[in-house]
Amino acid sequence: MTALLEAAGVVKRFGGLTAVDGVDIEVAPGEMVGLIGPNGSGKTTLFDCLSGIQSIDGGSVSFDGVDITRRRPHQVARLGMARTFQLIRVYRDLTVAENMELSTQWAEVGLRDLFRPAGAATRRKAGDLLEFLMLGPMRDEPAGTLSGGQRRLLEIGMALMSDPRLVLLDEATAGVNPSLVEDIKDRLRAVNSEQGVAFLLVEHNVQFVADLCERVVVLDAGSKLAEGTPSQIMDDPAVIEAYFGAAGRAHQTNAGANGTGAGP
Amino acid sequence: MNALKQALASGPGQVAIRAVVAVALVWLVVLPLLGASDSTLFTMTLMLTSVAVAINWNLTGGFTGYVDFGHAVWFGLGAYVTAILMSLQANSLSIGWPPVPAIVVGAVVAGVLAGLIGRVTMRLKGPYFSIAMLGTFVAVREIVRTWGGLTGGGVGLTLPPYLNRQLFYYVELALVVGLVVLVWWLRRTRFGAALVAIREDELGAQMRGISTTRLKVAVFSLAGASTGLFGGLWAYQNTFVDPDIAFTEVRTIDAIMGTLLGGLGTVAGPVVGSVGLYWLREVLWANLLDYHLVAQGVLLILIVLLMPRGIVGTFDRRGVSARHLWRLRRRHADDRSEEVTAP
Repeated sequence: MTALLEAAGVVKRFGGLTAVDGVDIEVAPGEMVGLIGPNGSGKTTLFDCLSGIQSIDGGSVSFDGVDITRRRPHQVARLGMARTFQLIRVYRDLTVAENMELSTQWAEVGLRDLFRPAGAATRRKAGDLLEFLMLGPMRDEPAGTLSGGQRRLLEIGMALMSDPRLVLLDEATAGVNPSLVEDIKDRLRAVNSEQGVAFLLVEHNVQFVADLCERVVVLDAGSKLAEGTPSQIMDDPAVIEAYFGAAGRAHQTNAGANGTGAGP
Repeated sequence: MNALKQALASGPGQVAIRAVVAVALVWLVVLPLLGASDSTLFTMTLMLTSVAVAINWNLTGGFTGYVDFGHAVWFGLGAYVTAILMSLQANSLSIGWPPVPAIVVGAVVAGVLAGLIGRVTMRLKGPYFSIAMLGTFVAVREIVRTWGGLTGGGVGLTLPPYLNRQLFYYVELALVVGLVVLVWWLRRTRFGAALVAIREDELGAQMRGISTTRLKVAVFSLAGASTGLFGGLWAYQNTFVDPDIAFTEVRTIDAIMGTLLGGLGTVAGPVVGSVGLYWLREVLWANLLDYHLVAQGVLLILIVLLMPRGIVGTFDRRGVSARHLWRLRRRHADDRSEEVTAP
């Protein structure tokens, strides 16, 4: 199967700091891939490079066979790649429904549509998605009045409005209470299995990644440290080292000695 | 205040607002027929001009969030292009253009230049954009002053006089009404919604597929053309332009103050605010001649403090406060986005 997203040797430098150092990453159509790594390992910067917010200093990115290395963010979005942000970006002074209607697939908005109000089809789709995301009752509230978790849901909804084939989710569960995390997980799984939308998730919540993804990529200090199934990753000594340092290694060794873990 | 808000939003409230608008329009239309003097009509025409400039300023400043400190440059350009075309001479014989094409060309020139300059200055965010536009304004004025062969330099240009105040009044009234309708309609379209998205979060709007550069430059160009049109009309009525009266900061300041008073980012705000500002000045000038500017400043500060979203914005959820705009622009200026060169 050809990859939907294919990034090869992506390099991003900020002055003397190499934030992303030759990372290869692929996402197949309909696949859910996790991207984890300690703070500062370059996950969000990699997202910025993939989605055109940051220009890259080396390597290439292609989406659905189209080279998008030098494309601007709106061009990337129009090809069917949507994303959410670590720091939530909803239009706080617009209503929930307006937020959704603005996030339609702009590639389909011609010059004539531009000078018309959002169509009935767009409004219906926004309404359906809001129901699906349990935000129906809030549709006419300004987005700024939603709770943190609801804003995450709204942002996911906005990403889904554009009929994306790939969604980059940046910390979809940060600051969200545990029961809502379960809801988000269910909704993402449903969108993935029913509509075949692929996801690349940056997460700190490792359990969330393990539950959703078939494949996990681990970044450390800008480089790819490991790649594999969630269980392979969690047993990988290099990953444990990067996450927990020497303490993690010692813990793992003890666990192995007690016969309960799969130590090195 | 809340009770009033609800009353205005309800059916009867809407009917009341429409009735007030209808009465105001009828009054404006019959005013010349009731024997208003030429000087009254001239004052009214100038007021309509400042209403129009405020509406145009609000398109970029209020809706799109790009606070332009040099908007009067388009007014001066429209005025000068009109004046140059109408006062053309060859061998001491007048070969001046008729007024209508001269004014239209003035608006087009202002619009095209706004598009070109906006393409560059609108890459800047927040306060940087504001300062760049202030610089553009001063630079263009000085170019006009220096380029004596074309512009008459500091001496200025005299246009063929045509002093039909009533006609000017009706033309401007019709244009301002048309402009309000245009903005009201634009606000309802996806284009208008996208402008608000740019104001609220430009990077987010890009990430959701909106071609923000194209749209914000388009609206900047539209506002420039419209202000240029009113500049041309003003030059014709004034029968004289020089760099200091055609390019005056006061026009930008009035547009900003009128919009703040009426409500940033609302359709009716700049209209209500600019008329209010005119009226306020008249009252203060008549009663407190020596201190009227001080009193005006104090009153405006009080209004902005007590009604941060302006008169219309207080009742219209779509209005925003100057503080909100300031916060947004600062946040955008800090965004990590880089210009990625297109293929």
